Amino acid sequence: MRLPLAALAVAVPVAMMLNPVFGLTTDAEQIAAPDFIVTAAPAYEPLAELRGQERFPRGAQLLLVHAGKAEPLVTGFAAAADANVSFDAQTVLFAGKQSAGDPWQIWELTLKDRSVRKAIATDADAERPFYLPGGRMVWAQWTPTGFQVQSAEDGHPMGYTPWNPTAGPGVLPLTYMGTSAFPVDVLRDGRILFEAGFPLGHGSTPELYLVYADGSGVEAYRCDHGRARWGGTQVDSGDVVFTHGASLARFTSALVHEEPVQAPRGTYAGAIAETASGAWLVSARAAADARYAIKIWQPGATAMRTVLAESGEDLVEPVLVAPRNRPNRHPSGLHPWNYSNLLALDARVSRDGALKGTPVSVLLEAQDAAGRVMTMGTAPVEKDGSFFVKVPGDRPIRFSLLDFKGAVLRQEHGWFWARGGEQRICVGCHTGPERGSENRVPDVLMRTTVPVDLAGAKPVAATQAGAPGGK
Amino acid sequence: MRMAGSIKNTRSDFRVGRALAAVLGGCAALLLGLVLRPGMERPAYAGTTPVKGPSLDNFIDYASPLEVLLSPDGARLYVLCQQSEEVRVLDAGSYGVIGKIAVGRVPRGMALSAGGERLLVTNSWDDTLSVIDTRALAVTATWKVGAEPSGVVEDLAGKYVFVANRISNDVAVLDAQTGVEEKRLLTGRAASYLTLSPDGKRIYATHIYPNPDPLRTGLENRTPPESEITVIDAQRAEVVDRIPLHSIAGVFHLAFSADGRLGVVAEYHPKNLVPLAHLEHGGAFAYTLTLFGADVGKPVEVPLDELERYSAQPFGVAIAPDKSRIYVTLAGSESVLVIDVPRLMRFLRTRPRPASGSFAQDLSASGDYVIARIPVGHNPRGLALSRNGQTLYVANRLDDTMSVIDTRTLRVATTIALAGPTTVSALRRGEQTFYSAHYSFQGQIGCSSCHIDSTFDGLQWDLEPDGFGIDIVDNKMLEDIKDVAPYKWNGGNPNLPTECGPRTEKYFWRSENYGDLQLTDLVLYIRSLPARPNRWRLPGHELTPAQERGKAIFERTVDQFGKPIPLENRCSYCHSGPQGTDRKLFDVGTRKLTDITGVFKTPQLTNIALTGPFLHDGSARTLEEIWTIYNPEDKHGRTNDLIKDQLNDLIEYLRTQ
Repeated sequence: MRLPLAALAVAVPVAMMLNPVFGLTTDAEQIAAPDFIVTAAPAYEPLAELRGQERFPRGAQLLLVHAGKAEPLVTGFAAAADANVSFDAQTVLFAGKQSAGDPWQIWELTLKDRSVRKAIATDADAERPFYLPGGRMVWAQWTPTGFQVQSAEDGHPMGYTPWNPTAGPGVLPLTYMGTSAFPVDVLRDGRILFEAGFPLGHGSTPELYLVYADGSGVEAYRCDHGRARWGGTQVDSGDVVFTHGASLARFTSALVHEEPVQAPRGTYAGAIAETASGAWLVSARAAADARYAIKIWQPGATAMRTVLAESGEDLVEPVLVAPRNRPNRHPSGLHPWNYSNLLALDARVSRDGALKGTPVSVLLEAQDAAGRVMTMGTAPVEKDGSFFVKVPGDRPIRFSLLDFKGAVLRQEHGWFWARGGEQRICVGCHTGPERGSENRVPDVLMRTTVPVDLAGAKPVAATQAGAPGGK
Repeated sequence: MRMAGSIKNTRSDFRVGRALAAVLGGCAALLLGLVLRPGMERPAYAGTTPVKGPSLDNFIDYASPLEVLLSPDGARLYVLCQQSEEVRVLDAGSYGVIGKIAVGRVPRGMALSAGGERLLVTNSWDDTLSVIDTRALAVTATWKVGAEPSGVVEDLAGKYVFVANRISNDVAVLDAQTGVEEKRLLTGRAASYLTLSPDGKRIYATHIYPNPDPLRTGLENRTPPESEITVIDAQRAEVVDRIPLHSIAGVFHLAFSADGRLGVVAEYHPKNLVPLAHLEHGGAFAYTLTLFGADVGKPVEVPLDELERYSAQPFGVAIAPDKSRIYVTLAGSESVLVIDVPRLMRFLRTRPRPASGSFAQDLSASGDYVIARIPVGHNPRGLALSRNGQTLYVANRLDDTMSVIDTRTLRVATTIALAGPTTVSALRRGEQTFYSAHYSFQGQIGCSSCHIDSTFDGLQWDLEPDGFGIDIVDNKMLEDIKDVAPYKWNGGNPNLPTECGPRTEKYFWRSENYGDLQLTDLVLYIRSLPARPNRWRLPGHELTPAQERGKAIFERTVDQFGKPIPLENRCSYCHSGPQGTDRKLFDVGTRKLTDITGVFKTPQLTNIALTGPFLHDGSARTLEEIWTIYNPEDKHGRTNDLIKDQLNDLIEYLRTQ
């Protein structure tokens, strides 16, 4: 058990009953706010889980706000959080504990009759569920290497015939790191937005990343890495709105860097919800010692209004109870291999600037299940900066460019992974998503179409994770 | 650590039954959608036009507006309707129909004389040019012109009419009064669009397929495509310049600023040489403009795409009279892109220009100059600006509508419904799907990105599933392919639904594509694509003497030395049947080191002369090279006993297929 929740299980319903008596404020009567679900918690540490601690150390409950009035969404649970409404608004996935000593598990509530079923049964904490298209769901699963993003069927008809067993059915791990990762949204293009530390795999600065629904194609959303990005939500325009530190910011398709959202001064927390009229439900507080309340804000307006506030409670992670567009399903192209082929078009190109030497080889490091760093070998880098290697799948890996003396010219900031069966192309080394490929055949493919095998079972050397390697 | 062993789904027993129910339910819903959709999607039409011809939909008389022009006085709109094969003349104020002028088959290009007294229309399927008196709204002459005439302009002096011939790769210079052809000017491959400079001194010709490599290197299919803008002196009717467009394949409309200092051309920048492993980071295409002229110095290529949103298939382009904006129709993205010219110029001044002259790799560049993307109808193509620049007219080809955009608000002010049917047929739905990039990851590509105008792109692609750098394949023509299954060069797809459905979704779109009924519509459309008229065939299908000799070679059973040719080594054995293919797989000795297999499906011969380069990987630049370079052991038919004249005869015959 990671949480003491008994007190909360009693406190929230009581607080709801006492709402009129003690003046727990809700001025929803004044504002046309849609029905939504929100997590109420007496204590909220939004980024604690990235550090291996608890987000809701004193538990949490889900509230359904209907016609301006809040009521507990589920009964019989010692704790509940992380609501995600299905695309047709008929059901709600959430993380819950039936008794305080249970691990967090993923449940599904049917809104019509309030019936609840366990969507997935695991031995350890499972939280932050999201519906995926194609009858699947994604969540964060506690593992020996922290929380990892996984997906599985959600128990509903898939609506199509899956024909790539590499990408399911069954439980499919999507992240492969020694540190935690948490899904925060499913984008309309089908990719999963998740938060994890930067540099990926060992850093501690919260950052937003993307991965396809089969675990392939992991990359940072943008490479202008900030001080703390988390809690992203894609809005109707396609922009991703997130919290940067305690402010709101956004990624927009045309720009390579984040843009601040000019919202009223305050401290913001986590995901937002966009209403049909384009207004945003946000979790915000005026001062550091105040409680987070749910406010409604029309982007561009100079002020926002409180929709729901509870004394002694932080109200966070609002989600609308309304049908929404289903994201695209990702048709996995993974091959049935335990390795991946990776082609770099020009490893010399990077946001980090010009190299101080000419790379002649690339060194691959990989982590084993215990987190030990293993040197997998080297491969030549062609004159045009291209290389083609076969790497182990589903494991943290990292490249370093070496000069003719074997000295490291540049090493990746963090770790990433390639799924088994993935064939992937990198435009450069840390070029950022803004860099498109050049239309030319890389020299390495003019010389050979066989990748250098760095996926071998006999690594050259092993060190502890985090230690520099590749000398 | 994997958690699979400790996790189970609690509703697995429901899965199969519910999945079946979902499939059946989905089919019912889709069927219902098919019935209801026409009325839901179509605007109201004022009337109908006669069924004109065999185009693509024999039963419904869509207009399919392709190009639009404004009369010099701004009072009229001329709308070229490709499928109803007519020009609609609209009042530019009320949008009421002033007249309808029937023209030839599958019209493609349109131009007004300097004073607007006559309108010239190219008819691409009957190789004619309709000369229309705009006062009488009647065709006064029909001139015979070159093969597949497309773009057309008349010089300001009224001396010459220039016609771009897509099939013969040239511009014909006609006497503007008689229509007599005086000469031909060599252009890029598949000349298609012509623009007269504002001062009337130059004509700029673009072309839709990349130029063939002038020299044989053995790596033609591994080098970037090259295109050009052919610059013609309008008075002398001579080519005076060729502006190279590196890495470009697919060049469309071109426009000038009123002062003539800025030229802009819409184009595709394919990534056919990079393995098509994924679409993010511009994995398959960049869509760009090349700018040229005094304002920019050396030509420079600027991208239209964004990091997560692509500007698929730019086609029409117009520059505001005050040079404040550039408007681009995005045929695959169903929108009009608006570029702020001062911001664009600032971008060019302040950003270091790459040595290549191209910013195409920078997906963030457009954020500096693209200011709006205005949704319009299906497959927007031609566009025209009012004289004051405040109104932009856009022809939505697959909607039978015109979007009228207020350029001050950058919104569609009204949509003109051209007279047409109120239903959307399965064919039309399939065609809309074919021309849309909506279904691919972040809207980057559609069928028509590679199959330009439902044909091909002249490129060879490195597809991902078989490995990187392996199995380079030439893109095939889509004409008349309904009965030539299996598909793909290796014959791996047994039918078109497989080819266009799961395969396309997984390896091209990299995103969920269409439901079964939509796929059916798409396949129906592709199956409907006819072969265009064959220009080498004589009327009545008789053959010229050279073609007769070639036919004899094609069908011969003994070689020059009287030695019997084995059955499987005769041209006519594999290239049999109405489409010139037995649809079987053979090893004809063309396997390269990078090919997994040397066994390929016999390609069809329909309009084979148009579809170069040849062989499975496009390594043969010409038909002749198939035998002179790639058939050393006579595995691809017995041909090494033939002399050049005989090969020429064989080619003459093949061209009639």
